[in-house]
Amino acid sequence: MSSTIFYKFFHQKSQSTIHFDGTGINVFDLKHEIIKQNQLGEGNDFDLKLFHSEQPDIEYDQDQDVIPRSSFVYARRAPANPRAGKFGNASRYVSGRPRINRKAINASNSQ
Amino acid sequence: MATVDSTDDFKFTGLGGCNEVGRSCHIIEYKNKVIMLDAGVHPGLSGLNSLPFYDEYDLSKVDLLLVSHFHLDHAASLPYVMQHTNFRGRVFMTHATKAIYRWLLTDFVRVTSLSSNTSNDPNSGGTSANLYTDEDLMKSFDRIETVDFHSTMELDGIRFTAYHAGHVLGACLYLIEIGGLKALFTGDYSREENRHLPVAEVPSVKPDILITESTFGTATHEPRMEKENRMTRIIHSTLSKGGRVLMPVFALGTAQELLLILEEYWSQNKDLQNIDVYFASSLARKCLAVYQTYTNIMNDKIRSMASSSSYDRKNPFTFKYIKTLKSLDRFQDFGPSVVIASPGMLQSGFSRQLLEKWAPDPKNTVLMTGYSVEGTMAKDLLIEPPTIPSVNNPEMTITRRLSIEEISFAAHVDFQQNAEFIGEVNAPRIILVHGDSIPMGRLKSALLSKYANRKGTDQEVKVFNPRNGDELKIAIKGLKVAKVLGA
Ligand SMILES: [Zn+2]
Ligand SMILES: [Zn+2]
Repeated sequence: MSSTIFYKFFHQKSQSTIHFDGTGINVFDLKHEIIKQNQLGEGNDFDLKLFHSEQPDIEYDQDQDVIPRSSFVYARRAPANPRAGKFGNASRYVSGRPRINRKAINASNSQ
Repeated sequence: MATVDSTDDFKFTGLGGCNEVGRSCHIIEYKNKVIMLDAGVHPGLSGLNSLPFYDEYDLSKVDLLLVSHFHLDHAASLPYVMQHTNFRGRVFMTHATKAIYRWLLTDFVRVTSLSSNTSNDPNSGGTSANLYTDEDLMKSFDRIETVDFHSTMELDGIRFTAYHAGHVLGACLYLIEIGGLKALFTGDYSREENRHLPVAEVPSVKPDILITESTFGTATHEPRMEKENRMTRIIHSTLSKGGRVLMPVFALGTAQELLLILEEYWSQNKDLQNIDVYFASSLARKCLAVYQTYTNIMNDKIRSMASSSSYDRKNPFTFKYIKTLKSLDRFQDFGPSVVIASPGMLQSGFSRQLLEKWAPDPKNTVLMTGYSVEGTMAKDLLIEPPTIPSVNNPEMTITRRLSIEEISFAAHVDFQQNAEFIGEVNAPRIILVHGDSIPMGRLKSALLSKYANRKGTDQEVKVFNPRNGDELKIAIKGLKVAKVLGA
């Protein structure tokens, strides 16, 4: 059965829907779907951030966090931060693998 | 009383067109009044991605949106802002801008829906790349108010006046006054009179803040007569060799100036009069009436020509030698010809089709006359690539042997003109917009060194080059404002 997440960009009047399978979708995949749905391209020149609907100042900043189905989130298309390299833009959501893998590897290496 | 709080800072937020050319949109804020300057799209991007970064500012706070001119990079996201965001402010532009805006954006809706339907991109699907529909455009169109040149509008504590900016028909500078603070926004402007437009005016009052374009940075334009001579020489010699000349242009603006130049040249050169010059733009054809109507806001030459009774009621925008071409199917491509065609950036459409058709023949010439935006075919051509991609068949490449010439007729100020204007305006705070980072950075350094001797004095000039998304705060001190005491 198909599940849904509702979202809208902060500036928009109307909301959009993402369909997926399962009880929740992680932040990485949701960003990937939003970029695809809006044809935002390669993601090099902007960053995409997601925020809680009840508390729009709280960001979903962990790519692996799971957002339960039927939730509503805010999206923000922000200018890329060239100083932060590929973590300052949305390109990894277009082509790359979830950040969680890299993070986990780094964490285990440093221990 | 007279406590200084943070609302006395002047704030500038760049949503687009900062350290780039395209999607111009800036927010200025003072004493809780919020004004948005321009609402463009980025010509090198599509769909939502071409918009200014509208999530970076709460658009419901905007009181007033002033549009400087009809170019897409300044006006094309306006219907989107008015119909699909929580913007609730009033919108102003000049009469001529509004008249052309209507046709221009109708065409923009058509072109963007075409390219999103025929897209071969496997990632497309979902929502189309269309930002808004014809209906959005028409619904919002009636809510756009117009402003006359030189007449001051006053609404709810904000005063603004439009001055001639040159650049394109209807383009204006806005002088904005909020609570005693004066800011001047140039939009795109030119300081060299051409065949039809006046030069940008310097307002008689000195603003506290100047927001100016920096497209050409510290570059110097070739003198106009040399440019025109070089252009007509290239065209003439290509035609004499039996070649064809393609001039990709944006349908409105510089194109009309080029038509006036070619019309004059053809009238003076009998040997060319059997060679066809075509202007292939249905959009421009529709807007010709607007040009014929608004000769009264053009320069003195045109005004006297259009009003002269001895002129036999001939309008300067009625051409004898330049023919319009409705579609490529009707074009009999048998011998030498000149075709002026849009779009100027060669992404698709008429100009691109002709480029692909004419590219293999070294006798032919493509003559670029505008500012070539990053990420477009026009920009890619300038490095003279041996092949070009076919737009309808991305796997196919086309040999490129036609010669590529660039003569910029882009109606923007060069360094000397900009610096001179900045000097005459004499604002102590300058915010640079509408320029790629490198030319803009050079302009900033050049201005700082020009005003270095004022450093540390109360005449000090500060220059800012914010990025998209940056909020710039400028402390405003010592404004002489007449206040009603005890109020
Ligand atoms: Zn312009
Ligand atoms: Zn512009």
